[in-house]
Amino acid sequence: MPKDAPVDPRGPRFSAWMTTVVLAVVLLTGWWRLLAAQTVLFAMCAFISLKLNPWGHVYRYAIQPRITPTTEREEAAPLRFAQGVGFVFALIGTLGYATGLTTLGTAATALALVAALLNAALGLCLGCEMYLLLRRYAPVLARPQSQ
Amino acid sequence: MTGVWALLGALAAAGAIGVLLKVREGRISRRSSVDLPAPVRDLLVPGVTLVQLSTTFCAPCRHAKVVLRDLADRTEGLSHAELDVTNLPDVAAALGVMRTPTTLALTADGVEVLRVGGVPKRDSLLAALQPHLP
Repeated sequence: MPKDAPVDPRGPRFSAWMTTVVLAVVLLTGWWRLLAAQTVLFAMCAFISLKLNPWGHVYRYAIQPRITPTTEREEAAPLRFAQGVGFVFALIGTLGYATGLTTLGTAATALALVAALLNAALGLCLGCEMYLLLRRYAPVLARPQSQ
Repeated sequence: MTGVWALLGALAAAGAIGVLLKVREGRISRRSSVDLPAPVRDLLVPGVTLVQLSTTFCAPCRHAKVVLRDLADRTEGLSHAELDVTNLPDVAAALGVMRTPTTLALTADGVEVLRVGGVPKRDSLLAALQPHLP
C-alpha cells in the first residue's frame, strides 16, 4: 500500500467538518445514495491515498493560501486508519438504509457522525486512541493497514 | 423524525465523550503492579523509566513523546522509552492498557509508580514522580 506524506493537520480537520455535515444531511433526509458516496470516499482515502479526498483539494486551493502557514505536520497513518473506521460504519449504514433496515442505517450513521464531529471539533481520533480496544474486541476492524 | 432525534443524540454523545476525554486527559492513576511482559522489562534502566505505549495510528502519541522526552532530559534519574504495541496487543492487555498513549512510570525492579492516560501534563506528572526520584 502506498504511504502518504505527512499533512498539514488543519486539512483533515476541515475534511472532518465536511464529513460531519454530509452525515448530518444523511440522518435528516435518509438519502442513502449520499451515504454510499461517502462510503466510497472513505474507502479511497483509507485503502488508496489521502490525496484522493476532494475536501483535501478544496482545503489546499481555497483555504490554505488564505491562512497563516504552519510547519506542524501530522502523520498520515492515523488519518488513514480513521478513514478505515469511518468506512466500516458508513458501509453498514448504507446497507441498512438500502435494504430497508432504517434503524441500522440511522444508528451506524449516527456513530460515524459522533466520530467525525469529535475529530472536527477537538482533533480527536476516537478510532486511533481506541485502536488497542478495537484490536481486542473487533480484530477485523483493527487489522494494521500500513506500517 | 427519527433522523432528527438520531442527529441530536449524536451531537449530545459527541459532546459528552469530548468532555469526558478532556477531563481524563493526562490524569494520573495508580494501580497495583503486575508481572511485566518481557518487552517492557527490557526497557527499564536505573531510576524511574517512563514507558510510553504507542501505536502507529496514534497522533497524540507524538505529542506525548515530545513532553516526556523533554521532561526526562531535564530530570535526573528519569528516563523515557517508547514501546510500539501496534503488533503487541498481548503486552497492552497484560498491562490493562486500552488506549494510547498510556505512560507507565516504572522503577528499575519493575514496580509501577503510576500511570498516565493521554498526553501527560508536565507539571503534575513531575510533582507525582518527585517522591520516587533521587
